[in-house]
Amino acid sequence: MDKIKVENLSCFYGGQCVLESLDINVVKNEILTIIGPANSGKTTFLRTLNRMSDLNTSYSRKGTVYLDDENIFNMNMEKLRKRVGMLFAMPIPLPMTIYENIVYAPKRLGLVSKKNEMDAVVEQALKDASLWDEVKDRLNSSGMKLSGGQQQRLCIARILAINPEVILFDEPCSGLDPISTAKVEESMIELKEKYTIVLVTNNVKQASRVGDRTAFFLMGKLVEIDKTGTMFVSPKQKQTEDYITGRFG
Amino acid sequence: MKRKIIDTIIEKIIFFCGILAIVFVTLIFGFLLKEGFAFFKEYGVISFIAGKLWYPTSDPAQFGILSMIVGSLLVTAGACVIAVPIGIMAALYISEIAPKGVRDVLKSFIELMAAVPSVVIGFVGMVTLVPLVRTIFDLPTGLTAFSGSIMLAFMAMPTIVTISEDAIRSVPWSYKEGALALGATKWQTIRRIVLKAAMPGIIAAVMLGIGRVVGETMAVMMITGNAAHIPSSIFEPVRTMTATIAAEMGETVRGGMHYRALFAIGLVLFIITFIVNFIADLFLGKSKK
Repeated sequence: MDKIKVENLSCFYGGQCVLESLDINVVKNEILTIIGPANSGKTTFLRTLNRMSDLNTSYSRKGTVYLDDENIFNMNMEKLRKRVGMLFAMPIPLPMTIYENIVYAPKRLGLVSKKNEMDAVVEQALKDASLWDEVKDRLNSSGMKLSGGQQQRLCIARILAINPEVILFDEPCSGLDPISTAKVEESMIELKEKYTIVLVTNNVKQASRVGDRTAFFLMGKLVEIDKTGTMFVSPKQKQTEDYITGRFG
Repeated sequence: MKRKIIDTIIEKIIFFCGILAIVFVTLIFGFLLKEGFAFFKEYGVISFIAGKLWYPTSDPAQFGILSMIVGSLLVTAGACVIAVPIGIMAALYISEIAPKGVRDVLKSFIELMAAVPSVVIGFVGMVTLVPLVRTIFDLPTGLTAFSGSIMLAFMAMPTIVTISEDAIRSVPWSYKEGALALGATKWQTIRRIVLKAAMPGIIAAVMLGIGRVVGETMAVMMITGNAAHIPSSIFEPVRTMTATIAAEMGETVRGGMHYRALFAIGLVLFIITFIVNFIADLFLGKSKK
């Protein structure tokens, strides 16, 4: 079943086309990984899915994106972002304690109000992001004091706390060491039980490790999309093969 | 060899320029202390600061500056009540909401506001605001602490706006993005994230604004009425410490009691502004971390 369906989407920055007539779908509870060299439009695509791109005044777009058959461009932006959470390349804890970082959004959205409800949300979110054991004794220290990998998992916990349907990962491991990367990947695979995940990555091997399906973008166009196993063994396009075998990019 | 000498000379010149500011402040402070202490020895600190009567020329002379301290504090507090909320909101508008064209125009006008000489602000206030205050509130005179607060708010605003704006703009874009991606609205993001992260800088801006208001002389002298008594409301004339020094320095005998009393007022002012600036520095240092 399609969770997200993109029809004939084109995106522009200052009139220049960065993504051209894209048709793609994301199946419920899968991890769709998107690979491609710089300027291939993959981050633009991701930031269109929760309309973060709309904040940039030089950005414009054509086409439609459906989330459960509902056009996201007609939806209230805040409600959309509650359903479609996003994790950035750089972990960005908000300037507050670990506890406050997690309850910030649920409180704003009116999902929780009582202290015991909040405690429960914090514990569950941190457990789902496999961070609970490391921070349970210092929930009231600043989120900025954690290590890079812990910060990134705190950001994951923060998104889980608002219980979204889709999570967008924008190169979530680009600043992390291999062990932290492995932990984040591990939690992504656990998360797809409950959530639908779109992962943009520059790391081709990461795509092969966690992706159910992989899409290859080049110069603003979708070159190929297939089951990850199939694509990495026998890509249909020459360009795809060149990229995943490291001959360019 | 020659290059080394030139190097040393230039280094010494730069060092001298750098140290000059410290030397000046120390000299001014030393001079204030010398004259002020000579006065305190004869008259006493308590009767000076807590004394209610200021009759410098009668016999025996009375040098109580409580009414002026109250006057200065009242005018400053009034100016803050007006300037701080407006200033911070203006800074928010400029840095977060205004489109680029509006922002540039607004910024340059606010910077221009800082360049208006205080005597001009005082003069404009005297001919426009003072009669207005008198008729609106039906007072015997429009020369009140309230009028002074309004005009001083104008003078504090540019400092508060420009420095807060810097602080708000230096909040990393990623913080806002992080909050927005969690479904926060623009206003929630501004209130809970942007303001919170910029708070040390904003407090410093307010402190520097207050420093400017406390030390301001010309405009308050022209607008506040200069009555040396303790006011019972903000709609009465007051006299500030600065205005007293400026108005009376010309009438004193050099080295006399009155002359020294004015220096003692200067010392009190210096200490107040020093504390305010010190707090501002504390917060500015914190916001840079």
